[in-house]
Amino acid sequence: MKRLIMFHGRECPHCTRMMPLVEKLFKETGIALEKLEVWHDEKNADLMRSYRPVIAPKCGGQLRTPTFINTETNDLVCGEIDYEKLKEWATK
Amino acid sequence: MKKYWRCFVCNDIHFGLKPPEICPTCGVPHAYVEVTSEEARKVGSLTEVEFSEADFRVAIERFTAGNEFRVNPDKEKVNMLLAGIFNNERNHGLKYCPCRLTSKNLAEDLKIVCPCNFLIHETYKDKEDGECWCGLFIRRKK
Repeated sequence: MKRLIMFHGRECPHCTRMMPLVEKLFKETGIALEKLEVWHDEKNADLMRSYRPVIAPKCGGQLRTPTFINTETNDLVCGEIDYEKLKEWATK
Repeated sequence: MKKYWRCFVCNDIHFGLKPPEICPTCGVPHAYVEVTSEEARKVGSLTEVEFSEADFRVAIERFTAGNEFRVNPDKEKVNMLLAGIFNNERNHGLKYCPCRLTSKNLAEDLKIVCPCNFLIHETYKDKEDGECWCGLFIRRKK
């Protein structure tokens, strides 16, 4: 099943700044991302780690937050991005 | 390969390819001898060094003082990042970057302990307004 996940960290300023854009995306398109916090939830952390072979090559060889991933297509973006790029990723 | 070295005068421990010419602690020249990891660990275990969160704030200011980068002047951002770094130290053992995640491979994860080698990050390298991935350190304005 297709999941659109945002892996984020509670104390990650990039993630905090992306939250209003994620809300805007939901209001505009009805697309709700699964927001999974990775530093205070080991289950979420392990899920993110399971995508390492997909995420790392596109994120400087590491697991970085925020990472937005479509689990069906493995299409992903990491870091702070503008609204248009977020929408483009989410609606692909 | 890096090795452990011990100053035969003051027991200063050095980990590296070669020892310092002069011991930075007692000033004695040619004072280092290669020792085992076990010996280095035992010397280090004798003294528990107090190092508080406030000390870390001072340490990163001192670290950046002579460098081309500085601690981000955005205090709110720095406070959030340091809260994450200290939470990670309490919950996960080391001062891991709050904007990345560990892989459960220590050698790999040491690369994301703050301060990390952000000089190679694409967000810093060759960028006039470069910053480390999380934004704790930023390049000084020329």
